[in-house]
Amino acid sequence: MHIVVCMKQVPQQNSVKINTDMSIDASGIDQIMSLFDEYAVEEGIVWHEKLGGKVTILSIGAPAWAEQMRRALAMGATDALLLSDPAFATLDSVGAARVAAAAIQKLDAVELVICGRNSTDDETGTFGPALARALGWAQLTYVGKIAAIDGGTIVAERHLEETVETVETKLPAVLTVIKGINEPRYPSLLRIRKVAKAEIPTMSAADLGAVVSPTALAGRVPPPPRPQGEMIAGADNAAKVKALVQKLADAQVI
Amino acid sequence: MDFTAHYDMFLNEEHELLRKTVRDFAEKEVAPHIREWDRTGAVAHEGPETRAHIRPIIKRMADLGLLGICFPTSLGGAGMDYLALAVVCEELERVDSSLRVVLSVHTGLNSMTIFQWGTEEQKQKYLVPQAKGEKIAAYGLTEPDSGTDAGAMRATARREGDHYILNGEKIWISLADIADHFIVFAKTDPEKGNRGISAFIIEREMEGFSSYPLHGKLGVRAGNTGAIVFQDMRVPVANRLGEEGEGFKIAMAAIDSGRYTVAAGATGLIQASLEASVRYARERQTFGVPIADHQLVKRMISHMVRKLDTSRMLVYRAGWMKNKGERNTRETTLAKWHATVSSFECADDAIQIHGAYGYSDEYPVERYLRNARGAIIYEGTRELQELLQADFALGYRENKPLRNELPPYSADDWE
Repeated sequence: MHIVVCMKQVPQQNSVKINTDMSIDASGIDQIMSLFDEYAVEEGIVWHEKLGGKVTILSIGAPAWAEQMRRALAMGATDALLLSDPAFATLDSVGAARVAAAAIQKLDAVELVICGRNSTDDETGTFGPALARALGWAQLTYVGKIAAIDGGTIVAERHLEETVETVETKLPAVLTVIKGINEPRYPSLLRIRKVAKAEIPTMSAADLGAVVSPTALAGRVPPPPRPQGEMIAGADNAAKVKALVQKLADAQVI
Repeated sequence: MDFTAHYDMFLNEEHELLRKTVRDFAEKEVAPHIREWDRTGAVAHEGPETRAHIRPIIKRMADLGLLGICFPTSLGGAGMDYLALAVVCEELERVDSSLRVVLSVHTGLNSMTIFQWGTEEQKQKYLVPQAKGEKIAAYGLTEPDSGTDAGAMRATARREGDHYILNGEKIWISLADIADHFIVFAKTDPEKGNRGISAFIIEREMEGFSSYPLHGKLGVRAGNTGAIVFQDMRVPVANRLGEEGEGFKIAMAAIDSGRYTVAAGATGLIQASLEASVRYARERQTFGVPIADHQLVKRMISHMVRKLDTSRMLVYRAGWMKNKGERNTRETTLAKWHATVSSFECADDAIQIHGAYGYSDEYPVERYLRNARGAIIYEGTRELQELLQADFALGYRENKPLRNELPPYSADDWE
């Protein structure tokens, strides 16, 4: 089975500087694998070990990003493909999904794509669903466990806010996984030796024949300030609670 | 700032991936617990080693393949070079010295010594399971009345047919209560001084072996240190390492490997002091500015940078020579002397930068100071290293060829 794992690079620290136009200044900050993508990589490798075939790491990024792709290879991925082109710099998550879809369609018989539930920088959580749409495949988001992959179907648990849904769908499919689905392994030292000098295959926009639609950012505004809170007065706790409940009821919150 | 950048005259992609892996491990699995682990060693109590964290963390290091980092895969190792060993030691001691100590005794002093001097049978029986991390190894040279003056040791090994009968006590032994295998030294001919010493590979399971922990150490409190005792312990002749009477040379060659790991670890400790100081100096405000803006704080930071880079360069030079199979006693000794003394000075300055906060274990820098102190004593005191450098420069000392040198690294053969 051919599994593709999508992996994004993000700035290591949360304490990035904010430019005057409110964009992020990540210069000088190490780029690391996005947290949820580590779980995606591990899950891809786990199922590859069970089912055989290939697991390909797919990333959109600068050539320097090859280092983190080598890390995924040292963890146990079999293949890597870096999509690198100056034109990709302004992609939003839908644009990125289209580019990734074009690459996946060029790979051999991909049956499963695994992504993190969202990146830890933009946190949109839209890449996985957009990729499923671009490919025309089923999507399973917030997957906390893959129960079975068998005979062209996948059974997985979606860990939602209040319920765990067990769902089954036909392959091919796109999954987004959550933290805790597994315990990502460290790269193996023996594999580090093998992959340290490995060339990472790279494709440009022209290689993909993909339509790249740049995103024009109209502007950024700060979030509105938080409205002032209100202290609830009352003779004792019971009275305060009663007043609070009344206020919540009046506001139709409860 | 990336303090490990621009060493590509020594290191390659492989080392960088390794560094990230070890750093990740140490930061995730050790850093969150190290204050508690260190505190357990501060409790004054008697009796056997009962602390629960020691074996599991060594097991994790073994699972990762760190314990056999610089041995050929055919001998159960990871097939990496001696510079990789330095990188592992740096990154482990950047979090806590007790982790690096495991590499020093298991890998440096014991396994590399079997790799250098062992027979094929000894390599298969002892080095292979040690390189795989299935068995843990340590080293016993120091005695209650014999440290730098190793020739004054009292332990004896009396030949009786196919066995030697060992009697004696070795003290200040890292992993004394944990290790399965030890290389120990004893006098087979007490009349001959240094030339009467022989080396032996012994097992904890051998009858007549016992160990006990030492309590109340200043530093490296998270790790186990103790003593091992041999009472009419019968050791097969097949377990003698090297020739009879060759033990002193083997002990000194082993220390060339051990000192290298200590020097690399001390470099990691300097980096930890520097990183902690940079972080704190930017955050802490006095007189309306971050303390990083005060010139005397800057001076302490700049001196740490100087000591970090010089230590690292010296360590990598020694590692590069090991890779080439060149004798490196002088270079390794210089690296060990400079890096360990610097690591203590840097930890001291780091405490100064942290002010009163640095004086408590709320911040890690007081632990760095306590941990740094031991390495100025063990594996060759500061004073011994100073004398060695002078003797080399004056021409009073030269490296005489050994019967067995440490095998050079070979990327193809070690695969």
